[in-house]
Amino acid sequence: MALLEVNGLTKDFGGLRANEDVSFALDSGEVLGLIGPNGAGKTTLFNCLTGHHSPTSGTVRFNGEDVTKLPAHEIARRGMARTFQIYAASGDLTVEDNVMVGCFLRTSSRSAALKKAEAVLGLLNLSELASVLVSELPVAAQKRVTMATALATDPKLLLLDEVAAGLNPGEIEEMLGHIRHVHQELGVTVMLIEHVMELVMTVSQRVIVLDYGRKIAEGAPDVVVNDPRVIQAYLGERYVQENL
Amino acid sequence: MEALRNACNFSDFPRSDLTVVGVVAVGLVSFPLFPHSSFAMATMIQFLMFSLYGMGWNTIGGYGGQVDLGKAQYVGIGAYTTAVLLIRWDIPFWVSMPIGVVLAVAWSFIIGYPLFRLQGHYFAIATIATSLVLKDLFEVWEFVGASHGLEISPILYTSPDFLRLFFREDVYYYYVLLGFFFLGILYINWFRKSRLGYQLRCIKDNEAVARSLGINVHLAKVKTYAIATGFVSVMGSFHACYIKNIEPEDTMSLDISILIALMAMLGGAGSLWGPIIGAGILIPLKSYLKDWLGATSGLMGIDLIIYAAIIMLISATEPRGIWGIIERLRRRGSK
Repeated sequence: MALLEVNGLTKDFGGLRANEDVSFALDSGEVLGLIGPNGAGKTTLFNCLTGHHSPTSGTVRFNGEDVTKLPAHEIARRGMARTFQIYAASGDLTVEDNVMVGCFLRTSSRSAALKKAEAVLGLLNLSELASVLVSELPVAAQKRVTMATALATDPKLLLLDEVAAGLNPGEIEEMLGHIRHVHQELGVTVMLIEHVMELVMTVSQRVIVLDYGRKIAEGAPDVVVNDPRVIQAYLGERYVQENL
Repeated sequence: MEALRNACNFSDFPRSDLTVVGVVAVGLVSFPLFPHSSFAMATMIQFLMFSLYGMGWNTIGGYGGQVDLGKAQYVGIGAYTTAVLLIRWDIPFWVSMPIGVVLAVAWSFIIGYPLFRLQGHYFAIATIATSLVLKDLFEVWEFVGASHGLEISPILYTSPDFLRLFFREDVYYYYVLLGFFFLGILYINWFRKSRLGYQLRCIKDNEAVARSLGINVHLAKVKTYAIATGFVSVMGSFHACYIKNIEPEDTMSLDISILIALMAMLGGAGSLWGPIIGAGILIPLKSYLKDWLGATSGLMGIDLIIYAAIIMLISATEPRGIWGIIERLRRRGSK
């Protein structure tokens, strides 16, 4: 049975249709990539799945349950965690404080939460930065913090929103290792929005392409990138006519 | 058990801080043993009371970042509950105080549940409004003495009466209050490291992130508002026994609400010691300035101007108050 099933999901903002009739399924243990040009509606789709937006129509089923109308915190409790593209930290919280908030979803005991936080920090190579304010960290470390915080909630499904954006090649390589580890060792199903193609192509087993809110392609990474519709979405109609 | 251990654990503060805390604590305990004027004693009692008001405010206003300017309504509920129960039915403080807390918390749910649908300034304005409405209601409610208020008659009781908290010497009030003060510190020390404490700081930081981490943001705010209310109501009950003459004007006025918030913000909202530092500066300043300048005609109200200026200076330079300045200097020092 699919872990996540999305059926005919549409999201309107006033007159703007951000997602139109998007359907797909995600099996437990999969890594699914979500790509598309800027403004294609990828983050909106994440927001609809996680309860941050309420879809205009369509359904989202998670783990066999209809979660379409549930508020974000209820969906998080059911095991769907996410990261945010832009992490707005006020500067009051340290790395460890952040991860602790995630840990406290599954326990009310401080000592249990501390133990969990220590483990998650170690996993994402953040132990030495535990007492640093998040706002003082470089981008790469901030991205790892958002991932660590989401992981601390013990998710079944982890949605990553551009965790490699703004990273240098070495940092991308490291992030790739972390995603693989989370997927293979912790058995977490992963869906990721990514513009960094080398990452999304390497780590995903399957890729979905959004353009103007609609799903235009779906399949294995190497097949999808050669699909004329996908190339057209990224590079324009003329490029396709002249080069393919 | 774990909670108690966490409440008593201050190990995340540097040793120098704890030394200062120890010295201040010894100073507070031994203060009445030294010769002092009754004015100094009254100021110390005000300091302890406002520290506790500030600690309560700090849960929702500091850690939670929800600026609440309506705490006076809960001072009133606590004070009136204790006064009415004592005068009409001779019910002692230790019984009326928890009843006051229950009533205040119940009222806080009625107020907090709809109010926390509002954000930022709108929330702050709404808290002021509800507090003023409640004050107006008390001013016309005959059962609680309307605008004349209630008086606990001193001839009915013998001093010292620890059950009714009736004393002729302020030193008794001082030590009872000091007990509350230390308990309050332990509670907040536990609170800031509790699940709710972490969740609140995350909510203050970014509500969308908080939701994604499974936090019911609205419920967390309502719960914390109730905790803040509990603190304030206990002090309201104490206020009734200490002042013995309560009126809507001096228990529930806007001045009190604002003073509570200002103390905590000046000292450092969202820190354990902030409200105490704030009260420690503003209360003596306020009462001594009033004493010193208030008698001179034409200079009335200058105390208000001076501490308003201090607040403006603090909020312009470091929004996290005096504690924020201390932490910033410390961070710079360690680099």
